[in-house]
Amino acid sequence: MRGKRGADSAIRNTAILGEQEVTMLGRLALIAFGTLALSACDGSATREIRVVGSSTVYPFTTAVAEAFVNARSGRKAPVVESIGSGAGLRRFCEGVGAQFPDIANASRRMTRKEFDRCEQNQVGEILEIVIGLDGVALAESNQGPKLRLSKRDVYLALAANPMGKPNTARTWHDVNPALPAIPILVMGPPSTSGTRDAFVELMLAPGCLEADPNAAKLKTEADPAHYDAECRRVRDDGPYVDKGENDNLIVQGLAQNPNALGIFGYSYLEENQNRLHGVPIEGVAPTYASIADGQYPGARPLYLYVKKRHLKAVPGLKDFLTLYATLWGPGGPLVKRGLIAAPEAMRAEMAKRVADLTPLDPAVLK
Amino acid sequence: MSKPAAQAERRPTDWNSPAMQKRIRRRYAAERRFRVLGAGAVILSAAFLGFLLLTMVAQGWRGFTVTELALPIDLKADGLKIERSQLATPAADLALASAGLEDVVDNAATRAFGADGATYLAPSAWLAVRGAVKRDPSLLERRTTVYVPAATGFDRALAGDGDPAMEAGVARLTRQGAIHRGFNWTFLSESDSTDPVAVGVWGALKGSLLTMAITFLIAFPVGVLSAIYLEEYAPKNRWTDLIEVSINNLAAVPSIIFGLLGLAMFLGTWQIGGHSFGPMLPRSAPLVGGVTLALMIMPVIVIASRNAIKGVPPSIRDAALGIGASPIQVVFHHVLPLAMPGILTGTIIGMARALGETAPLLLIGMRAFIVTAPGGFTDPSTVLPVQIFLWSDEVSRGFVEKTSAAILVLLAVLLAMNGLAIYLRNKFETRW
Repeated sequence: MRGKRGADSAIRNTAILGEQEVTMLGRLALIAFGTLALSACDGSATREIRVVGSSTVYPFTTAVAEAFVNARSGRKAPVVESIGSGAGLRRFCEGVGAQFPDIANASRRMTRKEFDRCEQNQVGEILEIVIGLDGVALAESNQGPKLRLSKRDVYLALAANPMGKPNTARTWHDVNPALPAIPILVMGPPSTSGTRDAFVELMLAPGCLEADPNAAKLKTEADPAHYDAECRRVRDDGPYVDKGENDNLIVQGLAQNPNALGIFGYSYLEENQNRLHGVPIEGVAPTYASIADGQYPGARPLYLYVKKRHLKAVPGLKDFLTLYATLWGPGGPLVKRGLIAAPEAMRAEMAKRVADLTPLDPAVLK
Repeated sequence: MSKPAAQAERRPTDWNSPAMQKRIRRRYAAERRFRVLGAGAVILSAAFLGFLLLTMVAQGWRGFTVTELALPIDLKADGLKIERSQLATPAADLALASAGLEDVVDNAATRAFGADGATYLAPSAWLAVRGAVKRDPSLLERRTTVYVPAATGFDRALAGDGDPAMEAGVARLTRQGAIHRGFNWTFLSESDSTDPVAVGVWGALKGSLLTMAITFLIAFPVGVLSAIYLEEYAPKNRWTDLIEVSINNLAAVPSIIFGLLGLAMFLGTWQIGGHSFGPMLPRSAPLVGGVTLALMIMPVIVIASRNAIKGVPPSIRDAALGIGASPIQVVFHHVLPLAMPGILTGTIIGMARALGETAPLLLIGMRAFIVTAPGGFTDPSTVLPVQIFLWSDEVSRGFVEKTSAAILVLLAVLLAMNGLAIYLRNKFETRW
């Protein structure tokens, strides 16, 4: 009896609720269509600055973006995405217009092929700006075996086909009898990363040229396949571990495994100096001084690429670049974040390039 | 003939015989084993959960606190050349910055706290002074004390994990009584920053809320209407069977696939008849994120709604039809209200899944560094789980505790949503 009355009242209640529900659904539909219609109108209005690219340049560009907003509140905050140099330059070169990025961060120079793609998509003139230097550091845990390596050792340990044969080295002792018999285990970034490209260009390939007299001849061949296979391919049979774009994972991995080495940008090494130290290459450890004066072999410039045709359309883009130029000097906020300031002559040239908007000459690209 | 004879011969079971006793013991043992296994499973999962929560709270609680230093400062004597009238203009920020406020603050710190004084301050410390001056312009002319955030290194030293120089500074400033610790309100009111002291979750939280609003506005009506049509109107034939199988399949598709779909559909350019059509929606915006996540959770809502509608007894429909209600009246006046608790529970569980989703949003550009909170649905923004992902990748060590603190905020939001689901279910649930 009670149950029946309960059900009755429930039905009556829900009938009332039902009418409310109908109007609620209608209102929801209205709001939904309203927002969609609104958003369809938007999009062509002035847009914020958009930056994509390297995870190594990311901390510096974000610092500038923050300073850019702090200098005058109410400015539209620049949007900075970290997707790797290769992917960043690919998106940068997709075209001109509101949906394409204005600036590409790159931890290596644009290639001729990438420039041609930009041309093909009518991107127009591009500014190339060096913001400073970075070192590709090989590092180990402070509890590590304190290895001292040469570029040749690195090449023989990590190339897929050292001297043209598949790599069979399992311990550092296999590579160089002077080194201890510790298993080779190097954690590094994936192939989309500019850091990895820089590692290949600055350590692996020079080591290859040193180790194998034939390599120089391979390099001049019309077909680069042989040279690439012998000198530029990183082994994928275990000793080189791809840790993704997250450099903190490499730092953690080194802490857990003192015999492993890690490859990353110098700024990470500096930030974690109480846990890690750099591995000297050819007797030179990666330090601020050795990278700045070019002694350390793993030093590389960091780049910004800017679309000239976006300078007028995107408000504040020129100011953003000017601000960048004021922050990259020695003792400046970017250096505090781990950037290595470029030599003075180069900084002056780059500041002039920002002021005069001198476009990139494609003849200098490889 | 033999059957009754056999029955007659059968004696009652002898429970005390050794064979029977053994069987009974085995049955009890099996019972106990099963109970221990079940309890073990619960204890194991509770232990995992407890471990997760404990690590997060242990690492994250410091993220909710801020160390502030009482900085005595006299802006006029320190040579800040700025007129009071300039502060009222929109160019006040620029004027204060170009008048060298940052250096003035650093000098004041050096004078108050010793030679290393400036390194004790967070890079954003001058912004705190700027805010104080803008609130009260009279500070320009008199000596005052402003609480400014301390640097990450100083904070770590205070926690006993810093370098010796900083620890010496901490000891000295503790004697001076200049250190003040409090709740970090900026963590709840600010957005992303490169300085772990100045970061906040508000930008990401607001991005999440805007994204969820779009997701709800699209997925809920479309999902519920599809469910009503399939349950109440659609004929049962091969086509509806096919649709049902497809919906069940879609609910199990990995989320990254929806990210790729959203990237291609909403952000791609189309070539149709020689014309190229630009991206339909702005990249990195809550709008495109919300639409993509709506595609993802729609199948979940359809399945949950269909089950809830199926659970409404046919007698309700028959009675309503019997007294002359039209089919649409039956659905909206009777079936839908009774099914609503189930539908809402399914929807909220789907929304909670969307709230915790990262992979599809990475693909459509909601992974960017943005200093300000989004102003609307089309502004670039990020969401909480992606913010956690971005902070976990930051160079500076101060971000470790902020990452854990942001995880705690995300857990709190999820808990609130699931709590709402339980509340709604209990409030509207009808028992038959």
